[in-house]
Amino acid sequence: MSFESDVSKIEEIAQKLNKPETSLEESLSLFEEGMRLSKALEKTLSEAKRKVEVILSEDLTEAETTVLE
Amino acid sequence: MHDLFQNELTVSELTSLVKRTLEEGFYGLKVTGEISNFRPSSTGHWFFTLKDAKAQLSAVMFKGSTWKVNFTPSEGDKVTITGNLDVYAARGTYQIKCDSMEKAGQGEILALLEARKRLYANKGYFDESLKKPIPSQPLRLGVVTSATGAALQDILNVLNRRAPSLDILVLPTVVQGENSAISIANRIMQANSLLLCDVLIVGRGGGSLEDLLPFSEDIVLEAMHESEIPIISAVGHEIDWALSDYVADLRAPTPSAAAELVSQGYLDLRQTIKAYKAEIKKAMEYRLTLATHQLGKLEVRQIHAIIDNREYLLANASQNLINAGQQKIRETQARYQSATRELQALSPLAILHRGYATVQSESGTLIKSKEQATIGKVVRLTFIDGQRTAEIKE
Repeated sequence: MSFESDVSKIEEIAQKLNKPETSLEESLSLFEEGMRLSKALEKTLSEAKRKVEVILSEDLTEAETTVLE
Repeated sequence: MHDLFQNELTVSELTSLVKRTLEEGFYGLKVTGEISNFRPSSTGHWFFTLKDAKAQLSAVMFKGSTWKVNFTPSEGDKVTITGNLDVYAARGTYQIKCDSMEKAGQGEILALLEARKRLYANKGYFDESLKKPIPSQPLRLGVVTSATGAALQDILNVLNRRAPSLDILVLPTVVQGENSAISIANRIMQANSLLLCDVLIVGRGGGSLEDLLPFSEDIVLEAMHESEIPIISAVGHEIDWALSDYVADLRAPTPSAAAELVSQGYLDLRQTIKAYKAEIKKAMEYRLTLATHQLGKLEVRQIHAIIDNREYLLANASQNLINAGQQKIRETQARYQSATRELQALSPLAILHRGYATVQSESGTLIKSKEQATIGKVVRLTFIDGQRTAEIKE
């Protein structure tokens, strides 16, 4: 997942929508795509789906973890 | 001086002499002792006793000076104060009036830190060119701090609010005491050897200068300097500092502030998306308004065209109908006239016209032969100009 590429896609859609030469039909599908993308991104960013882990081992080459919350 | 022993003195005179002697002779002092019987007054002054194993000294620090002390002394604290002796004549007591206070040994610690700071500055560890950028939207944050400290809770709370999607890995350390520097350095190296995260917060909550010392130890500074993962140093409160602040890629005044810095990119991203969403909506609404407007214009024009066309067809059709009707009438008239002429030609009247007459019985039956004309019967003769009655004789 790349936030940057999704955001630049949304930005592109907004720019196209603002162009008068974009047809109404094209505008409608652009609008749908833009709404879908931005809602999905907003959801990804605002949803509390984080993982909080704590590392157990002190060994530099081990990364055993356990969930903290 | 020996005059004193020859003259009689009042209490006030003696006290005044003692006061002058003590106050003029004992100023700009630096005294180290333990705090005892600490009594802060409601007006902001501090009253306490400074003592050591063999003696004690009353002390006072007025409001004008206490605000400059970055800790609140408590029973047993070993402090170094500066001040002057002060005699309170009314009670015949003396005390030390403090101008400044620091924890004992702090001067030495500060001097040591200053020396170490210069050393690492000369080594180039603080160079701006070495500062790695903090990723604006990190995928996983590593936190090197005490697993049980308030600093970790502060960080988790801030991130939960501002970047709830950000994964966090806690690398627990001892942050106080002898082994803490080794523990902190070890966690920084561990994060790097396994690349456990893409940004690190290294820190702890507020504490005394000694409490924060591990973050200024050589081993920690070296580990930070070697780190490939960008590090934010977040040690103590706003006024606290440690040498880790200088070596780190970014210094945050508190652990909460570090969490805010780490999540700023996410917050900005959410704002950006919100703004684009609003822009897309606005652009679409505008397009729709425009389209509705155009559609409205188009329909009226089209409808007029259709109506005009139909009206033409209708007018055309009705004209055709009229034409056809008139034609029919003319044809009928012509046929009527020719029929009339034919009829006239065939009419008995036309024959009569030529001088013939018809014979009919009284009942109107046409008499065409002599057998029909019975003798003695009355018949009706029709001429062109009228009728006569006659009797058959023979």
